[in-house]
Amino acid sequence: MMKKYFSKDKWSYAFYTVSHPVDAYYEIRHRERGSVPIAIVLVMLFAFSFSINRMAASFIVNDVNPRSVNSFKELLAVLMLYFLLCVSNWSITCLMEGEGRLKDIAIALGYAMTPMIFCYTIGTIFSQFVAQDEGAFYTMIIGVGIAYSAFMMLVGIMTVHNFTLAKTLVTLFLTLVALLIIIFVMLLLVDLLNQVYSFFHSIYQELIFRG
Amino acid sequence: MKKKNGFKRIIIAALVTAVAITVGMSAYRSLAGDSVPYDTYNYDYWNTIVLTPAPYVPDGAVKGVDIGTTDFKEPQDLCVADNGEVYVADTGNNRIVVLDKSMKKVIRTIDSFKRDGADDRFSAPYGVCLSEAGQLYVADSNNARIVVLTPEGEFVKIVDNPQSEILDDNFSFIPLKVTVDYADRVYVIGKNAFEGILVFESDGQFTGYFGTIDVKISPWEKFWRRLASKEERSNQQLYIPTEFTGIDVDSEGFIYASNIDSDGIQAVRRLNPQGKDVIQKGENGNVGGDVKFSQYGDYGGASQITDVVYRDKGVYSLLDRKRGRIFTYDKEGNLLYIFGGLGTQEGTFTTPVAIEVSGDELLVLDAGRNSIIKFKAANYGQLINEAVALRYDGDETLAIEKWSEVLRLNENNELANNGIGKAYLTAGDNKTAMQYFKRAKNRKYYSVAFKRYRNELLAENMNWIMTGVIVLIIGLVAFSKWRRKKTGKKKEESLL
Repeated sequence: MMKKYFSKDKWSYAFYTVSHPVDAYYEIRHRERGSVPIAIVLVMLFAFSFSINRMAASFIVNDVNPRSVNSFKELLAVLMLYFLLCVSNWSITCLMEGEGRLKDIAIALGYAMTPMIFCYTIGTIFSQFVAQDEGAFYTMIIGVGIAYSAFMMLVGIMTVHNFTLAKTLVTLFLTLVALLIIIFVMLLLVDLLNQVYSFFHSIYQELIFRG
Repeated sequence: MKKKNGFKRIIIAALVTAVAITVGMSAYRSLAGDSVPYDTYNYDYWNTIVLTPAPYVPDGAVKGVDIGTTDFKEPQDLCVADNGEVYVADTGNNRIVVLDKSMKKVIRTIDSFKRDGADDRFSAPYGVCLSEAGQLYVADSNNARIVVLTPEGEFVKIVDNPQSEILDDNFSFIPLKVTVDYADRVYVIGKNAFEGILVFESDGQFTGYFGTIDVKISPWEKFWRRLASKEERSNQQLYIPTEFTGIDVDSEGFIYASNIDSDGIQAVRRLNPQGKDVIQKGENGNVGGDVKFSQYGDYGGASQITDVVYRDKGVYSLLDRKRGRIFTYDKEGNLLYIFGGLGTQEGTFTTPVAIEVSGDELLVLDAGRNSIIKFKAANYGQLINEAVALRYDGDETLAIEKWSEVLRLNENNELANNGIGKAYLTAGDNKTAMQYFKRAKNRKYYSVAFKRYRNELLAENMNWIMTGVIVLIIGLVAFSKWRRKKTGKKKEESLL
């Protein structure tokens, strides 16, 4: 089980994806070279490196008050967003003749986190050694990480579903719409459950007070 | 025998604990020795509230009956003469009360004066001020005039009835606060005079408005006004600038004027002789009292600054009537310390209206309690005052001693960290300077110190670094050669 998902081969393939995104994503879709657990681990690593960056990057480049950073909440938020993105993209691409399975989408998005993990970590270390006017380098490192990750996500979605670029962009837009709809429905559900709960709670209270 | 021993032990243990607790308690008490009935705090780099030691502690209150006269009735202003005498505008009793320097007894009360042989009286004297020449200016609000007297109460002149085409036809002159500069120009805050401060020349001639506060209209409001029809627009409320609330003049003749800013960003202006605002704002761009406040409730909302006092060496204090706080800033607009609060304990206010400085003491006039509340500088406040004064005079090196004392009392004080950091920087100890600047969150100076330190390190270790680089290059070349040889052999093997 562990061997299947976390083998050395699978790990090195995650890095191979960074250097050869198009080929790698094709093989992930058609030759089972990827691993969902590794993708989730990468997302978690990204959440950690993001929080650490916000907490520990030098005050020269960092406007965040370290007291306001809650790494656990940020981890949950990142994971939540990741799952929502996967599900909403899957639900849209299913309708638009995308070839990717939910598994492939999860791997495509998860593996695309690698550049950000590296750049946030390197940026955090690098920020300890910069003066104010050299802060641009730090911004550049972070910017490159985000840009490459975005590029990998785009390529990943495109390859996994066998879409053209234009179709990918359209599905990505629709994915965002679907995301909002999912959030909206979830909020409705939570509100409804709350009302049901408070209804039964008030009945219970009534019984207690009268009895 | 054994049991007895155990019992003894228990008793000793109990005794020791009791002693420890009492000692501990008394230590705690003595630590809180300057405990005050209000919050003392400041804002750090991230605008979070950081509690500080008390900069000022209450030093008693002065009521009319205690000093040999009847009680004050809604007094609105006070002023301190150069010789330390305190003039109180006792508005509700239509008189000016003069206290001696120690504020223990009344020297005289002025409730009437001889003018052209006839007796004349005040009607709700609202503001009071002493000129540099030592003359007493009284804003006699209901009589619509400024009365100028000698300190003894002899009539000198009257300033009233401003005439100008810029004034509305139905303008009524109700002077509230008054101050006088070195050239005996009279600056008056009038009721409903939204256009600014009224200025009179020394001969009583009205010269115009001064320091008008621009109306702020957000783009959103502009957008709605554009959509509205003319009729709707006339029904909307007018956008009028805020009124000035308090006024003071500094040693260079610049006017400090406070106003109520509903956004809590700028509640004080420093006006140059042209009436232009030249105040310096600190790192956070805020000279409006509390930086963080709740938006809702009676106790929420921006600070309402009702008076300003220029103290010395560029330091000025603002009085907030919303939460009864006193905010003290230095010349660069850095918040030095905050203290004061509303309440009924001694040292708190119900309706603070005016603030004045008398020697080392701060005096706050409370119109609700009809008393003057005195504050004296505690060690912490005194040290900050001295350090800021030294810095204002350019004696940064002397200020260091004071700043390090301040740090002993409050190691979070960013100004102190900054001051000490600068001293280390000029002394050439860049590494220590970096630590202090880091604590003070001073990006600019930290960068300077850091660059110097980095260059130092590089220069010192240049030999090692260069040797390391050369060794590394040679090693890499050798390694790659060795590897090529090996793989070459392998290839040959595989070929065979």
